[in-house]
Amino acid sequence: MDAVLQALINGIISGTLLAVPALGFSAIFAVLRFPNFAIGALATAGAYCAWVVNVGLGLPIPVAIVAAFVGAALVGALLEYGALERLGRGGALMKAIGSLAMGMVIENIVRFIFGNDLRAFDLPLARDIVFGPIRVGPQQLNNLVLALVIMAAVWAFLSLTSLGRSMRAVADNPDLARLKGVNPRFIALVTVAIGSGLCGIGGTLIGLDTAIDPLVGGRVLLSVFAAAVLGGLGSIPGAVAGAFLIGIVEEFTVLALSPAYRLAVGFIVILVVLTVRPSGLLGSKAN
Amino acid sequence: MTMRFTRRSFLGTSILAAGTLAMPAILRAQEGPIKLGTLTPLTGSGGAYGPVMADVVKKAAGEINKAGGVLGRELVIISEDDQTNPEAGLRAARKLIDVDKVSAIMGTWASSVTTAVAPVCWQSGVFLATVSGADSITKLPHQGFIIRTQPNTTLQGRKFGEFALELGAKNVAFVSPQTPFTESQFAALTKAVEAAGGKTSILIYDDKKTTLRTEVDQVLRSKPDAIVMGGYTTDTAVLVRDLYRANYKGKLLGFGYAVNKQLVEALPPDVSEGIVTLSPSAAQGTGGYKNVARLLGVDSPDTYSCQIYDHLNLISLAMAAGKGTTGTVIKDNVRKVAQGGGQKVDNAVDGLKLVTAGTKIDYDGASGPCDFTDIGDIEDAQFRYEQIKDGKIVLLKIA
Amino acid sequence: MLTYILFALVIGSVYALLAQSLMLSWGLAGLVNLGLAGFFAVGAYASAMLTTWGHAPIPLGVAAAMLAGGLVGLVVCFSTLRLRDDYLAIVTLGFAEIVRLVASNEVWLTGGTDGISGIPVLVPRDAGIWFHAGSLAIIAAAVAAVYLLLRRLLRSPWGRSLRAIREDQTVASVAGKSIVRFKAQAFSLAAAIAGVAGAFYGHYTSYVAPDLFQPLITIYIFLAVTAGGNARPAGAVIGAYLLVAFLEATRFIAELAPGVSAVQAASLREIVVGLGLVLVLSFRPDGLLPERSQKAPAL
Repeated sequence: MDAVLQALINGIISGTLLAVPALGFSAIFAVLRFPNFAIGALATAGAYCAWVVNVGLGLPIPVAIVAAFVGAALVGALLEYGALERLGRGGALMKAIGSLAMGMVIENIVRFIFGNDLRAFDLPLARDIVFGPIRVGPQQLNNLVLALVIMAAVWAFLSLTSLGRSMRAVADNPDLARLKGVNPRFIALVTVAIGSGLCGIGGTLIGLDTAIDPLVGGRVLLSVFAAAVLGGLGSIPGAVAGAFLIGIVEEFTVLALSPAYRLAVGFIVILVVLTVRPSGLLGSKAN
Repeated sequence: MTMRFTRRSFLGTSILAAGTLAMPAILRAQEGPIKLGTLTPLTGSGGAYGPVMADVVKKAAGEINKAGGVLGRELVIISEDDQTNPEAGLRAARKLIDVDKVSAIMGTWASSVTTAVAPVCWQSGVFLATVSGADSITKLPHQGFIIRTQPNTTLQGRKFGEFALELGAKNVAFVSPQTPFTESQFAALTKAVEAAGGKTSILIYDDKKTTLRTEVDQVLRSKPDAIVMGGYTTDTAVLVRDLYRANYKGKLLGFGYAVNKQLVEALPPDVSEGIVTLSPSAAQGTGGYKNVARLLGVDSPDTYSCQIYDHLNLISLAMAAGKGTTGTVIKDNVRKVAQGGGQKVDNAVDGLKLVTAGTKIDYDGASGPCDFTDIGDIEDAQFRYEQIKDGKIVLLKIA
Repeated sequence: MLTYILFALVIGSVYALLAQSLMLSWGLAGLVNLGLAGFFAVGAYASAMLTTWGHAPIPLGVAAAMLAGGLVGLVVCFSTLRLRDDYLAIVTLGFAEIVRLVASNEVWLTGGTDGISGIPVLVPRDAGIWFHAGSLAIIAAAVAAVYLLLRRLLRSPWGRSLRAIREDQTVASVAGKSIVRFKAQAFSLAAAIAGVAGAFYGHYTSYVAPDLFQPLITIYIFLAVTAGGNARPAGAVIGAYLLVAFLEATRFIAELAPGVSAVQAASLREIVVGLGLVLVLSFRPDGLLPERSQKAPAL
């Protein structure tokens, strides 16, 4: 029983780490209507920006997280307008394939500059706090709070600001939004920047918890996709719900089955959910 | 110097590639430099290891060239990337063999890459020196074209078991990702521990996971007093952090290739404190290890860097002893310079002088005495036992 | 040198089979199959297990690979075809990873991360250059056979229906086409072709292992198919050979860059490959051989 409770808590914690990049991925999908496979590389790029600021310049972690957001947002926006936008004429899937290739390019630019060595943030590691049979790490709690704050900020931005409302309008119906005087291209730019920035923060949070190398974002790519698909592509609350569910399922796989199969179990959950609800848990109706 | 020759070799290969002037190019290859290839993972999951391996070979070859080369000819090193992928590795090997006409390929790391590349090497008469651990590799029908400097996994498993016992452990957990040697290592470890009345358990994790909290909980449930970590640097960093967080206070053992300088630098000193590592080693007092440390400018070089350094030296010495540069010459002469008594040497520059003077030598390298069985496994290895103290890797003993 | 060229051509032929598989599912049916590496793996393992451990003759192994690929394709289909295209892309990407996980962890079934070595070859290995030439002849014949088959299918009513569905599902379903059935047939046939590619790869290199089937190869094949033209079998075939030439050429380009370390040269190579794909997609989205319009030419 304790083991189950502990796994549940671990799952929630790893779910929050997935939720931030899943949010970014889903936001980009909602407005631009294509799955951006470069998000793993964007998370890596953000994490390296944060690392340079934290270790290279000696600035504290909160500044590094802001740097990760800004850095990844710039790379993401550049990616969209430098490479992907013109592929849109060939359909959304052309952009998806293009993003897959550009992800490879970004990952290798990071490798070219920094090499493959493992790099850690300048952050002490604390032992877990034990509450009876349950233990929680202070760093994980920090990450949890941070992730929740970010999610709240995204929610507030989307529902309270006029820019956020325009974004939702474009996501719901681009033509209608254009009639109302919203510039879809500008909205797309803002969305890509914010979505990429969130991925950058996601990569940094993982890096704070472990260490970074050029593959740091790529390693969580499939779990992030799983979370976003499970929640329903393009649904912001869905991405968060999906991330928690995938996080918990992956930890329970460790208890119930071989830990090696956590990814497989995640995808089986997706198939089951999609068979019942083809548009995901909280997604809008497909087709 | 090396740079200029690399470019010339490129021109040579381009001419070959164009399919013209093939004859003059081949003639020149016989008089010109001796070409050797490294095939290490520069991208992909082995990317933490390959770059420094390619680097140490280039530097060591530079020293050999400065001292006059091998048989009066210059060594040219061509580095290819196996992308930690057998398909890409095979394509790269074919390019090294057929276009660059290398006599030997050094440093294949992933067992899958080595197994894919091996048949191509022995059929083309190219010598292959590898650091891969899977037991199956030396059992391939390779006719002597393969040597491996990585001790076989059964030996390493046993050493870990014995050392855990020596540290007073009775309940040993083996925590590892799925690799070709996970099973044989665990079996050997168990045999050693059970012989002394202890018990073992195993947990296999997914090395792409960014947190291993639940895995750690699972392992700690059996209350082990020693944990042997079977992974590589990136995933071992995650595991060590999560063990620290879980307040694990028992012994922690890892392979020297995983618990290396990179790992120590990526962890706060109090987290890595006390981890014990094992790497294959030459006997105390030999200088090979220090040579690699000097070439790379580090205190404690990776075992893979040491091993590929030995590959280059053994191949150079074998070519000098056999007075030829083909893979077959290397295969027929490598054991003459590696073992069987004679003057001890720990680097190729000294060794080449002695070989030229007709002296029988016995190379003892950076990674071990480098004595090989008929199928190319190392006969005997001593191990460096090291421990992390205050963020530094400190030598405990060589035994 | 000749061996190298023959070798590159054999690899190109295996890629050509994969490219035709992708051409069928993506170019014709509009199904983005990011799990190509997974079907490639299923075929490779099916034939390797049957011929190496079961001592079955190679043709039987290849047939089994085709069957296994097709069946697994059908299973993946059934669970995903009702999904939107973007969901399919992600789910198939996950499928390929699961195949790799199973191949790595079910040691009793697949030999685990050790892989299967000593797979029987098409032509005796000691035949020297003829080993490569003979293998090339056989695999190229398979490429030609698949090419002829696809060309025929394309011109048949089946092929036209498939394209109609790709262009507009609603119109096609109004016209009485069973969309799911057509898509399932195309997807499964494509998976079978990828399976055959896997079988031949194993019978040429004598070795299969989970590491072979990383997502990278799927990206490569997308590059091949886009370069050649994604709706014509000939385009896919030409694209595949061009891809291998391009991948090999990047080695020499990286050597030209002065003063970069080995790891930097390796990353430059991958940057060039990735940028290559994006440039082709941008400037020549229809590839070298664009789809022939079946409609009346527009003015």
